[in-house]
Amino acid sequence: MRFKLAVSLACLVALAAGCGGRQQATSGATTHRLAFITNNAADFWTIARKGVEKADAELANVTVDFRLGDGTAAEQKRIVDDLLAKGVDGIAISPVDPANQTAMLNDAVQKAIVVTHDSDAPDSKRECYVGTDNVAAGRRAGELLKTALPQGGTIALFVGKLDARNAQERLQGIKDAIAGTKITILDVRTDDTDQVRAKANVSEMLVAHPDVAALVGLWSYNGPAILNAVKDAHRIGQVKIVAFDEDDETLTGVKSGAIIGTVVQQPFEFGYQAITLLAKALAGDRSGIPASQQLFIPTMVIRADNVDDFRAKLLQLRGR
Amino acid sequence: MRLVGAAWRNTGTFSILDSRDTMAPFVRKELATFLLLVVLCVIVTALNPRFVSPANLQNTARLIGAFGIFSLGLGFVIITGGIDLSVGSAFALLGVLLSIMLTTWRLPWPVAVVLVLALGALLGALNGLLITRLGLQPFIVTLCGLLLYRGLARFIANDQTKGFGDATGFQTLQRMATGSVLGVPTPFVALAVASVVMWVVLHKSVYGRHLFAVGRNAVAARYSGIQTDRTILIAYVILGGLTGLSAIFFAFYTNSVSPSSHGNFFELYGIAAAVLGGCSLRGGEGSVVGILLGTTLLQVLQNLVNLLGIPSSLNFAVMGGVILIGVVGDQVLRRRAVRTAI
Repeated sequence: MRFKLAVSLACLVALAAGCGGRQQATSGATTHRLAFITNNAADFWTIARKGVEKADAELANVTVDFRLGDGTAAEQKRIVDDLLAKGVDGIAISPVDPANQTAMLNDAVQKAIVVTHDSDAPDSKRECYVGTDNVAAGRRAGELLKTALPQGGTIALFVGKLDARNAQERLQGIKDAIAGTKITILDVRTDDTDQVRAKANVSEMLVAHPDVAALVGLWSYNGPAILNAVKDAHRIGQVKIVAFDEDDETLTGVKSGAIIGTVVQQPFEFGYQAITLLAKALAGDRSGIPASQQLFIPTMVIRADNVDDFRAKLLQLRGR
Repeated sequence: MRLVGAAWRNTGTFSILDSRDTMAPFVRKELATFLLLVVLCVIVTALNPRFVSPANLQNTARLIGAFGIFSLGLGFVIITGGIDLSVGSAFALLGVLLSIMLTTWRLPWPVAVVLVLALGALLGALNGLLITRLGLQPFIVTLCGLLLYRGLARFIANDQTKGFGDATGFQTLQRMATGSVLGVPTPFVALAVASVVMWVVLHKSVYGRHLFAVGRNAVAARYSGIQTDRTILIAYVILGGLTGLSAIFFAFYTNSVSPSSHGNFFELYGIAAAVLGGCSLRGGEGSVVGILLGTTLLQVLQNLVNLLGIPSSLNFAVMGGVILIGVVGDQVLRRRAVRTAI
């Protein structure tokens, strides 16, 4: 009995000392713990990671935890809860399901500064959004379509999930751009990030509608999926392809002319700007945050004439 | 009458070794799936004749081939009364390794292919050993496999998509995996060959009899002298090898492997195909023809969603709905047959 009491008391003392000790550490030092959370594990984020690491290296008194999501809101909630429990001071997150993650983000705002990147959650209390204006990106893709189809025609779009905000905004941008032209949208097919399904959707679209004039891939892996399907159907050049993001195969397709062009974001800047913003805000400097609370990083359109330069820059960024 | 009488007469002894009497229920399950498939094909062709166009038949045949190969193996495992949830993650792991072997290590492609098949078989053997030697439940063992292999794939690939690019050095392999033989897609040809082999193994060999015996009643099988552990282990190894073959076809179909999402939940397609084709999840029942019919049905269902312009969001709803109708219809007919027989 006495032994048990002694052990329990010892544990309590250790716990108290531990807690007290931790408090001392965080109140004394000025090291800010930041976290960068992605929505999934696509290649896209390896570039963002470089941006995050550059910001981390430049900023003193900052440690950054880079976390990959798995495409589900549940996993992101788990990551955020873990980080808050560890005492993180700032979170940059790309919410998988912004509409339904508003509550989670608002809870996080109570304990840390939150910015969103890549995909916004405007209804939440996040400080700022750093990322692409996806509607504008969609409009640029629409312009590519207009140059590819001067006589008009039917087009089909392919994406992983239509309930993702960036997918909806890009679709909106394309619709805005092609409004009034003779280009009409046949259908939008989804594949739930199953890349076998993504390619099969395109193959079957080409069978069901052989007269489709252009195919658009809204997510990064849709470009290569479309390219492969069109190649298999021996219709390269007959069907125009527009893609998003900078997958290796997409860039190869742009170079060969099979893909008209791809609208790329600047994931490096997502990482760099988000972390820099968080660090400055924690130091009390919120001057970098625009009044609209949205910091748009411009997109680029990569066509055959600038793909080589872009590739070289990418290799440099990726450090490969 | 004959059917029910035969079942009663044969229960309790080693009638499972005489597949003739137990064939009849299989034939009915296969027949139901076959009829459903025929009806579906007729309806879809009527609604969109492009369903039977050469291009569409080739596309669908390619997918049936890739999905069917590992479904055969999964059927074997289900016949033993087991299951394998790790197949999808194995696709990711084997795909990543294939990419590394061909593009980074630049191994000659025959070597890479043999290695992938061997590795698949090894993973299967691992599952089989844990299940037979340690007596662990297949569900748990393969669930751990599902998590482990996915994690390994992501770790080895550093969470980056592994591709095959323009296939310098192994263009023959890429052409073979993505091409056709006399107009028939290679995966379908491979499936045809694998089906013949597996049919002989399952329905005409001693091992096949042993497999059914172990699945039906493992204890009785062991007491009658069958080496149940080895029988089950071999089933998992066969599945592993077939998984390796399917992995190669899937990897080249998309020409890249995203380790976090490649092959995600594909084992469900295999399990559904096997169960639709007459394999009971309790074990001891199944047929190669049934598994082929099940795979074809699943791929036709996915194909018709695209061809008929049904919204993509209803893809799985359509699959589930049609399968449910088929299964309910089959059960109703079976009950009616039993009742009239009595």
